[in-house]
Amino acid sequence: MISQHGGKMSPVRVFIFIVLLAALISISYVVSGQLFKFGGMVITAFAASDGMPVGDGAAPASADVMLKLVPVFNGLAIILTIALTILTVRWYIGTKAEERATFLKKMFLYEALVIGVVVVLFPFFWMLCTSFKPSGQELIINKSNPFDIVPSEPTLQNFKKVLKIDAASVAMASEDPIEQKKNFGTYFLNSLLVATTAAFLVTLFASMGAYVFSKKELPYKQQIFMLLLATMMIPGMMFMVPQFFMICQMGMFGTKWAMFLPHLASVFGIFMLKQFMDTIPNSLLEAAQIDGASEWQVFRVVIVPLAFPIILTLFLLTFLFHWSNFLWQLIVTNFENPLSITLPVGLALFRGQYTSELGLIMSASCFSIVPIAVLFLFAQRYFIEGMTQGAVKE
Amino acid sequence: MAIKSSKETAVSVGFLSPFMLLFGIFLIFPIFYSFYLSFFGSPTDYSLSNLEFVGLDNYVRIFTDFQFWWSLMVTAVYGLLTIPLGIAASLALALLLDNKLFGKSFFRSAFFLPNVLDMLVVGVIWTLIYAPKFGALAQLTTFIMSEDNFFNTTGLLGSPYTALPAVVFAMVLKGAGFGMVLFLAALQNIPQAVYEAADIDGASEWQKFWNITVPLLKPIIVFMGITGVIGALNAFTEIYAMTSGGPQVVIGGETVGSTSVAGYYLYKQFESGNYGYAAAISYMLLIITLGITWLQQRLAARKSAQEVGK
Repeated sequence: MISQHGGKMSPVRVFIFIVLLAALISISYVVSGQLFKFGGMVITAFAASDGMPVGDGAAPASADVMLKLVPVFNGLAIILTIALTILTVRWYIGTKAEERATFLKKMFLYEALVIGVVVVLFPFFWMLCTSFKPSGQELIINKSNPFDIVPSEPTLQNFKKVLKIDAASVAMASEDPIEQKKNFGTYFLNSLLVATTAAFLVTLFASMGAYVFSKKELPYKQQIFMLLLATMMIPGMMFMVPQFFMICQMGMFGTKWAMFLPHLASVFGIFMLKQFMDTIPNSLLEAAQIDGASEWQVFRVVIVPLAFPIILTLFLLTFLFHWSNFLWQLIVTNFENPLSITLPVGLALFRGQYTSELGLIMSASCFSIVPIAVLFLFAQRYFIEGMTQGAVKE
Repeated sequence: MAIKSSKETAVSVGFLSPFMLLFGIFLIFPIFYSFYLSFFGSPTDYSLSNLEFVGLDNYVRIFTDFQFWWSLMVTAVYGLLTIPLGIAASLALALLLDNKLFGKSFFRSAFFLPNVLDMLVVGVIWTLIYAPKFGALAQLTTFIMSEDNFFNTTGLLGSPYTALPAVVFAMVLKGAGFGMVLFLAALQNIPQAVYEAADIDGASEWQKFWNITVPLLKPIIVFMGITGVIGALNAFTEIYAMTSGGPQVVIGGETVGSTSVAGYYLYKQFESGNYGYAAAISYMLLIITLGITWLQQRLAARKSAQEVGK
């Protein structure tokens, strides 16, 4: 990659630099401008006079605030872009001639990566922006700048409507309490309850089972383990019909138990935990037994704390699985009972009623996306390692 | 000793029994129950207990059901599009990230994030992006072109030719970060000395990529191929969210959905009350899955035997 031109100016290289610089300026201006405006928009939406109180006020005051704030955000974006441009140009001039090719390669890499992130995360940014747009205005785009997707008149009306705490729904509440219960607050709690209970039970049973497969004696242990692994080859769709019949015959159709009971036996969990527990030295267990620990105490005091990172990983992955387990939850949901509707099923139902109300559908989507994104932010190491672990073992 | 080992066995059974109980009831029993159910038809009344016995009719029906074979073909096309594109996209991201970069972990997390988000919700968001008249894509194309453009009038999901590729595009973007992490880990395990040796032999960047990087990444590519096949055979939520199997096309006098993959067809049969037929279809899908897995393992075994032979 080292240039043959030595210290001389290469017109090709200067041309490439100018093209990359132009790309840098536009990316930086659009991305930083939109992010600044988004941050201000969210704060405005919550702080503005139509923010917290329930009811439809007059013209939204948030528009006036935003009108004053938008030039500030634009100014900030311009200052940031100019600063970045000056820095890059100085950097480039300061680079030795033979290292300039590497410099340009780095610059290209960063720009490609930022564009990649923008493409991959755009749907979710658009979701957040649209959920703050007032009804009827989702369709209007900024004619002078089509890249400006952050609303200039943010409102919380969409969120209030999907939570059914807006004036119209509250007035209806006494007449039809069941319909009132069908809101995304209820669905969110249902999903949270189902996913947490399932994740807790799965990790408990799987870690007890994995302990036996890893450390204990049992006749036909290897054969049983092979049988478990063999069932992993069966596609999940296979179980839909028989499990549905079993749940119905047990009389659990439309209950929260039905949402996760058939998926409690996690072979993947046993496999993942056994792999880890095999690395725990047996001498630790023997030492605890000599100290007079009972079988349960050995498991609870030695195994669980040592395997805790992997148990936490399994907990988070199982939580995620049940948070998104759409097909199964759809077929066992009793739509008359709002307490059995989980988030994905609720969204599918809601979308059928409000096909073109973009703002409402997007604010409903936020209830599923935002909590998981925040959880991912704090526990990404566990998610990434847990999800990719099976492949690395290959 | 005998007393100790029988006590040990009792403890083991105690620890294992909650899991094995659930495993037996909800994973082993259904395999046989499903086979039993596949000899029955639709319910004769509004309860599930009175199914009509039809014998082998469901299996006979599968072989003459054009819609089922069509759905298998759609599944194959879906897999043939998703798997190579998914591998290419994740490899491209991994190659970009496999450099000394500031903020590498930020990019890694940002690309991985869509993987953990709910498939149905992501599908709904993409449906709205593709939607004609009010979708994001329609708004952008209207700004650039006239109002009378394809994205604004029909929308990508409205035409039988573009609906499946549009679903594939959304799913590749959602899943790219997963393969990227796998490739990145493998790339970092390739010793730099191998590339330096190739430099001495005067290899070009392209030759180094094809003759060193790709062969060393083969285990990951094979893994992504296998999971991709299983993913295509299990595909349901993305189709339910984005196209509902449509748009409909007429082929040889039969109306079929242009994105109706096998998983979606199975759900449709289930939803319309053909429980026995749905069970028979799921048996068929099981046989196909096992067949493909067996074939892949045979191929992998033969390949590695050849390499040893060299």
